Amino acid sequence: MENNHKKSRRDFIRSGTRLSLLITLGAVGGLAAKHVTAEKYVWQIDPFKCTQCGRCATSCVMTPSAAKCIHAYDLCGYCDLCGGYLKPDANQLSTAAENQLCPTAAIQRKYIEEPYFEYVINEDLCIGCAKCVKGCTSFGNGSLHLQIIHRICLNCNECSIARLCPSQAISRVKASKSYNVKGSFTKDGKV
Amino acid sequence: MKNKGIVIFLIILSLIIVGVVVLDYNASKPGMQPANPYEFNVDPFSKIDSALIRYKESRNLALNFSEPTGISFRGNQLFVVGDQKMQIIEPAGKLMKEVSFDQKPTCVYASTDEIFVGFQKSIAVLNRDGVKIADWNSFSDSTVITSIAEQSGTVFVADAGKRIVRKFNLGGKPQGEIVGKSGNDQIHGFIIPSPYFDLAFNMDGELWVVNPGKHSLENYTVDGKLRTWWQASSIKIEGFSGCCNPAHFAFLPDGSFVTSEKGMIRIKTYKPSGEFEGVVAAPSKFAEDGHAPDLAVDNQGNIYALDSDKKMLRLFVKK
Repeated sequence: MENNHKKSRRDFIRSGTRLSLLITLGAVGGLAAKHVTAEKYVWQIDPFKCTQCGRCATSCVMTPSAAKCIHAYDLCGYCDLCGGYLKPDANQLSTAAENQLCPTAAIQRKYIEEPYFEYVINEDLCIGCAKCVKGCTSFGNGSLHLQIIHRICLNCNECSIARLCPSQAISRVKASKSYNVKGSFTKDGKV
Repeated sequence: MKNKGIVIFLIILSLIIVGVVVLDYNASKPGMQPANPYEFNVDPFSKIDSALIRYKESRNLALNFSEPTGISFRGNQLFVVGDQKMQIIEPAGKLMKEVSFDQKPTCVYASTDEIFVGFQKSIAVLNRDGVKIADWNSFSDSTVITSIAEQSGTVFVADAGKRIVRKFNLGGKPQGEIVGKSGNDQIHGFIIPSPYFDLAFNMDGELWVVNPGKHSLENYTVDGKLRTWWQASSIKIEGFSGCCNPAHFAFLPDGSFVTSEKGMIRIKTYKPSGEFEGVVAAPSKFAEDGHAPDLAVDNQGNIYALDSDKKMLRLFVKK
């Protein structure tokens, strides 16, 4: 009877060890599976929270910044007098450099028909300074806005722009809905 | 002695590390960073010389609307539309009548005998008791009705979607259109980059229509011929800024214009000739990135501004 009791204790320790190993293995496997199947998150700007402070141009670890101006054409008025393209006190409504608000001439003004013009962003030239966004928001329809371009963004654990953003406009969003483009993305955040 | 030196060295090193961390933490706080070379500060444009402000805000009426959209004044009554209703309000604030609709109105105009309530693609005609007497539905799919006015039995309807002014008789029968082209290259028709397209008759019965993309106010005969126009395009207080302004306007009893701008919201007056006169309300009075207030003027020349952001009717009287 005593022998049986000693065996039982050994068996108990052995089976306990096995059970612990099994639980650990399950937990590791579960975590790994969750990591593989869980949706990824990326950084993105809420255009309705953005105050166009200009920090996106200087705070991003990428040079030039991964934040770029994009254009919601369905909101654009195709104006001759574009508040996002022209300086407020521009001498003329023309493409002369002295009249352009963009410091890198990243906005191309294309004639459509009198007196309508299309404004196209050259992503390679855009540094994400948001001057045009400020002009368009203050004086136009607000069709120009900033977004983080994910093929440029390194998706840092702590986004250096988000850390400095004064309006907390940058947050993690699901990778499946990685862009908050105005028009489809509305002020209350609904798509 | 040797150990003591190491300890002192480690203490100094620790203090330096702590100092660097604290400095870095403080420097990275919003508002503590150095000036940003890319910041586009539009605040200087919204500052108004107080000497130019000729009106004072005398009273506010809180409105029971979640989204008020239009206002009209006639016979000592205010007509306010929004949500899915119209309210008739006494200037003192007493609610006289409320009329419900099945869609959201965009504008309202009260004539001597009727009330015309504009929706995006239709118009409801009510008698002055608020009873509906007709529906006008003969509009196109792209119609966006933004303003209505009536003169001598002809109703003029601003259609921002089609960029025309439509004319109707009082029975709702179409009487033609005004396309806003003068026949020469100076005027390109109505340029409407956003759904703000206002029209009104002055005290002399002259039809004035905003051409917002040109920052101009244009006077047409009832047949649609351009008679005269004036333009004020500038970021400065004397002009209209942005893509498309003024968003709304009304007439003072002396024929002067009262204008309301979107974007950088400001309400100003212009002489009948179009010369800048003064400021009614500076941008600081309104919500940043708010909506341009619709305007109405009473018989004494007091100006009612419909502040849809604060959901208030704001009364401005001359100083």
